[in-house]
Amino acid sequence: MKFVGLMLKSARRSKRRTALTVLSVAIAVFLFASLRAVLDGFQAATEASSSTRIVTIRSTSMIFSMPTSHADAIKSVPGVRDLTWANWFGGIYKDPKNFFANIAIEPESYLRIYPEIILTPDEKRAFLDDRTGCIVGEGLARRFGWKVGDRIVLQVGIPVYGTQDYPFVVRGVYRSGGAAVDNQTMMFHWKYVDERSLEKGQIGWFISEIANPDQEAQVSSAIDQKFANSPYETKTDTEKAFQSSFVSMFGNLNLLLGSIALAVVITTLFVAANTMAMSVRERTTEIAVMRTLGFQQHTIFALIAGEGLTMATLGGALGAVLARLLVNGRNLGAGGFIPDFGVSATNVTIGIALGAFIGLVAGIIPATMAARLKIVDALRRVA
Amino acid sequence: MLIELREVTKSYKRDALEIPVLEGVTISVPEGDFLGLMGPSGSGKSTLLNLLAGIDRPTRGTVRIGDTEISRLSDRALAAWRARHIGFIFQLYNLIPVLTAFENVELPLLLTSLSKKARRDHVMTALDIVGLGDRAQHYPRQLSGGQEQRVAIARAVVTDPTLLLADEPTGDLDSKSGSEVLTLLQRLNQEFKKTIVMVTHDPHAAERAQHLLHLEKGTLVEQQGVVG
Repeated sequence: MKFVGLMLKSARRSKRRTALTVLSVAIAVFLFASLRAVLDGFQAATEASSSTRIVTIRSTSMIFSMPTSHADAIKSVPGVRDLTWANWFGGIYKDPKNFFANIAIEPESYLRIYPEIILTPDEKRAFLDDRTGCIVGEGLARRFGWKVGDRIVLQVGIPVYGTQDYPFVVRGVYRSGGAAVDNQTMMFHWKYVDERSLEKGQIGWFISEIANPDQEAQVSSAIDQKFANSPYETKTDTEKAFQSSFVSMFGNLNLLLGSIALAVVITTLFVAANTMAMSVRERTTEIAVMRTLGFQQHTIFALIAGEGLTMATLGGALGAVLARLLVNGRNLGAGGFIPDFGVSATNVTIGIALGAFIGLVAGIIPATMAARLKIVDALRRVA
Repeated sequence: MLIELREVTKSYKRDALEIPVLEGVTISVPEGDFLGLMGPSGSGKSTLLNLLAGIDRPTRGTVRIGDTEISRLSDRALAAWRARHIGFIFQLYNLIPVLTAFENVELPLLLTSLSKKARRDHVMTALDIVGLGDRAQHYPRQLSGGQEQRVAIARAVVTDPTLLLADEPTGDLDSKSGSEVLTLLQRLNQEFKKTIVMVTHDPHAAERAQHLLHLEKGTLVEQQGVVG
């Protein structure tokens, strides 16, 4: 303990350099924790998917639509208990920067199949009764300050929906009852959109509720079989697989985000190691003096390595806590793509540990240099 | 005898060349002595001092301080021995700039098992001896060169070492400050019975020593009052 004061005093020798080192580690850990939050959010949504819901999309890609006639065919498949559908609308609210998910749904069946969308009975009734009505997640409502009765206008984002703006009235603010549903989405009547669409009767994806989760494979196969060799072949899978395929539209996110995080961490590690090495080089005489006074090699090693460890752990803690505050405080939104987007306590701990790891690895070479310093050579270099 | 060097030779390797610095030096110094080491640059006097301090090792020969033949100690044992037996005073003071005078003097005591209070008492005693008790909380940059060297002396004596080694202690000081430092060293020798070996170029500084030893090209050329 008596060496801790000495170590901290050394770290404060160049306040600016120490602050910059702490900051660089903080930024690396901030990025790492935020990227982990993205992956965890997708993971949570996938894990929370219902085992009684299966999703049918076009076999080529979910960006292609299917005719409404598919609905009756799917409903007729044994094992399908209920059916609903939705379309990605891709509307723009004032500015493309205000991105959030907005989808056209068949309201009655959608709310039936997704009990996780929680509305008051009054809100539900008002939404179902109003063709231009919409419901918004409470997170989204908070983001834009919307409340029931507000008028929202979306510009068309996908040409198939025409050129004129779409006005909506907020009829309800829903709460999410599970990670499978986020609170950052806007939903409205599929019919309202379909009426003005240049291609009528098109559907993005069907969601079937099946009676027995154990029959998921058979039911999925039976649905796809119905449309085999037709111009609109389908691919039916579990909601979990659908969530995954939705994510995979962005490419291999795990690899992409993992690579970014790794690159940032390795770069920071080199920066920290270089800073520590510079610091040790500047202190050559001091270290030689301490060795002359009788400080053991391992004590010198511990002092230098401890300095790096302290700085980087501090940076790690700063970055992780900042990520938690900013991400969890919804200051960094995910536009509704990630239902449960947040930096968990585990990720904060991992972030701090990562900072400590950077400090340890970055400190090893400079600390070894310092410990192995030949006293006479070091003193002669200055004298 | 406190110090006994027998046939000590030291040479350095520079690429393929072996450069001799000390050749067959044999000296004995009694406890309580104040020995001055003189000689021109490159004569080997600082190397001799480094060998006595245990921060360098002889190529051949033996170095014995008290009962310990330090040339045979491992690096680890040598560091522990230095902490207990050696007080070193550098020409350029070499105080740690981010530590106060108090903390600089306390530095060698961190290697002991003394309590915080005991360390504090030792540090204040050492600073009082060098006349800087009132400057304990000053940083090196807030002190004059002479004061810095006195703090360095306090750091060297705070562990009550067996041997005080001074490498050109007045080399970077004006004559007044240099004289104060030499008076302090004399006092440590006479009043506190410290054995001191001092390397110096300065004849005035050398006058303060009880005995003198001259080195030239790595060999002893003249001894005044030293058992050879």
